[in-house]
Amino acid sequence: MDKAYDILIIDDDRDLVHSMRIVLETKPYTIRTAHNGKEGYHRIEEKIPDLIILDVMMATDTEGFDLAYRLRNQERYRDIPILMFTSFTQKMAETGADKFQHIMGEEWPVNKFMEKPIDPDVLLKTVEELLRGE
Amino acid sequence: MNLAKELVAQQIFIRRELSERVGWFVGVRWIAIAIATAGALAARLWGFTLPLRPVLFTVAAMVGYNLLFTVVGRRLRQISPDRQRPFQISAHAQIVCDLGALAALIYFTGGFYSPFTLFVLFQIILAGILLEPAYAYIYAGACTAAIGLMGALQAGGTITPYPGLFEHAIYHTDPALRESVSFFIILAAAYLVTAYLVTTIARGLRIKGRALLRFGKELDAANTKLTALYDLVKQMAFCADYQELMDSATQTTARIMGVKACSIKLLDEQRQTLRFASTYGLSQNYLARGDIEIAKSPINQRILQGAVYTIGHIEEKDYFQYPENVRQEGISSMICLPLKVEKRVLGVFCVYSQAQAGFRDADVDFFALVAELTALAMQNLRSELNKSWFLQKAAHQLRSPLNAVDSILKVLRKAYVGPLNEKQTEMLAQCERRIEALSLTIQDLLKLGIKRADSASVDLRPISLAPLLSQFSAVYQTQAKEKGVQLTFSLAPHLPAILGEEKLLDDLYTNLLSNAIKYTPAGKAVQVSLDREDGQRLRLQISDTGIGIPRDQLPRLFTEFFRAENAKAHTDQGTGLGLAIAKEAADRLRGTLQIDSREGQGTCVTCYFPIAS
Repeated sequence: MDKAYDILIIDDDRDLVHSMRIVLETKPYTIRTAHNGKEGYHRIEEKIPDLIILDVMMATDTEGFDLAYRLRNQERYRDIPILMFTSFTQKMAETGADKFQHIMGEEWPVNKFMEKPIDPDVLLKTVEELLRGE
Repeated sequence: MNLAKELVAQQIFIRRELSERVGWFVGVRWIAIAIATAGALAARLWGFTLPLRPVLFTVAAMVGYNLLFTVVGRRLRQISPDRQRPFQISAHAQIVCDLGALAALIYFTGGFYSPFTLFVLFQIILAGILLEPAYAYIYAGACTAAIGLMGALQAGGTITPYPGLFEHAIYHTDPALRESVSFFIILAAAYLVTAYLVTTIARGLRIKGRALLRFGKELDAANTKLTALYDLVKQMAFCADYQELMDSATQTTARIMGVKACSIKLLDEQRQTLRFASTYGLSQNYLARGDIEIAKSPINQRILQGAVYTIGHIEEKDYFQYPENVRQEGISSMICLPLKVEKRVLGVFCVYSQAQAGFRDADVDFFALVAELTALAMQNLRSELNKSWFLQKAAHQLRSPLNAVDSILKVLRKAYVGPLNEKQTEMLAQCERRIEALSLTIQDLLKLGIKRADSASVDLRPISLAPLLSQFSAVYQTQAKEKGVQLTFSLAPHLPAILGEEKLLDDLYTNLLSNAIKYTPAGKAVQVSLDREDGQRLRLQISDTGIGIPRDQLPRLFTEFFRAENAKAHTDQGTGLGLAIAKEAADRLRGTLQIDSREGQGTCVTCYFPIAS
């Protein structure tokens, strides 16, 4: 049996968080949730999770990125793997004139970037890979 | 604007005039000498008792000093006309010499009663023209005194001038004292009145000359400014970014107006603070003071209410929130006015000068014009960006819940919440398919919005079109084959490169080709051809023998979400955004798009691309 990994989901869409929880709880994972960047940061301070699943657009358009950068800039949180979801396709985030381009520059602050809708099979597979450190 | 410079220019103008006139004076004297010589000889021949030798001696002296002045004049021409003194000395010397020669002539032709006393007027007039007004009076006074002295000496018998021309008039009746005195008064009056008249007229002419010079300069400056203004407007029209537009405005304005600095401050949404949005020529130190609270800044309050503020002497005013900073920055005068479109105030536009009272009324008017144009350009750009922003925001708001529904359905269908029967799984799959179609529409919409927002920043480079088309076509060949549509290519060999951008060409071509395949029934054909139209353009044609487009619906074809009636009947797939995206891409590629279609017979889309030079 796998070690009970601690996964933190940060997304303002409660329904989506609920269904992700259902999918992830089919595996031996402990799921914690937060609905905005600030609450998410508190959860991380309480206990460092093994993985963060993070949404880009919450109250502000770049809330997810803001949190990711904040974590990457701190020694103790730097190595937490982050899986980021957004409704923008990756292609657009890379090439479009949207505001992320200015914020991101060259460096992606996340380990994996995926677009919604979320396929549960792909989600489980990706989470497993990230937890194994791939 | 630069008073000192203008004064120098004016003086140079006046001095140049003086140097020219001094030269002219020498020329005129040769004529006078010739006439004097001829006159003396003629008088002698006519039987007057004129002492020929002394007169000719005087004329010879005139020739001598005029030769000297000719040489001096040549030297003077080589020195810069902004040095005024040498010309003044030369003018004085010439007048004094002439008066000396004239005194001799008067002495030899009757002294006090000589008619040549009238010729003194010429010298007074010349002094009035060549020199400062005071000298005309000085010479007039000196000559009056000299003539008076000569008259007194003559009456006392100390000197006995030659009887000259009017021997009989002078000696046959001895004039009484009162006659001599009244003669003298009339002569003196003539000298002084002449001095008065000539200096008055000369002064008027000088003022007019200066005004003319100033008008000329102003006209020149106005022309330069207008050209610069035109450039500014042109530059602003090409800005796709708010910051870029404002930076371009501040930099160009400072340059055109020849001032130290320029700034645009924008109002925040609560309309309580003004923030420096773009500056040119202001130090970091000055900007570090941060935002300006409108409540604490009476000057900005008034500007925002619509007042134009011109401050000539900063230190006299006490309505700055940070007066120390203004002083430290070396700003001595400024113009501030509201940036507004109709009644909507966007912020405050300022120019700063290091000179006290550095701005004239014309500068204020000009700056008001610049501000108006800048505000208009900002407003235009804002509405463009707003449209795109709204579109993107709306698309995102639509996609978010849709994605959530899609994700949840997938969890359900893949039996994460319990087993499903076959019928249930099938119905959930149907839902997912419909959601996918809707999602596609929104994605296209998002794409279009981003393109509009990004419209000015396209980087075109030479691209070889034919290989790119083959690459893009791979997917569609399979698609056409599956559908039973015959897809053929005819790409001319050795075509020159066009100016393009890969992603835009992808948007353009794949939207057109997928439309052609979509609206062409099985058994019919789609043809793609690429050739050279003329020296300047390549022609790409995508023609099909599909359902065609009804004539009355052709004009609306490039409108977003528009789908022709027969297209909707043909297939329910399609967002109505494909052609709008293709048109947008063609515009940005500086190409043109043409559509010919006949309902039931087919459609031919032609794109023209400029060849890279």
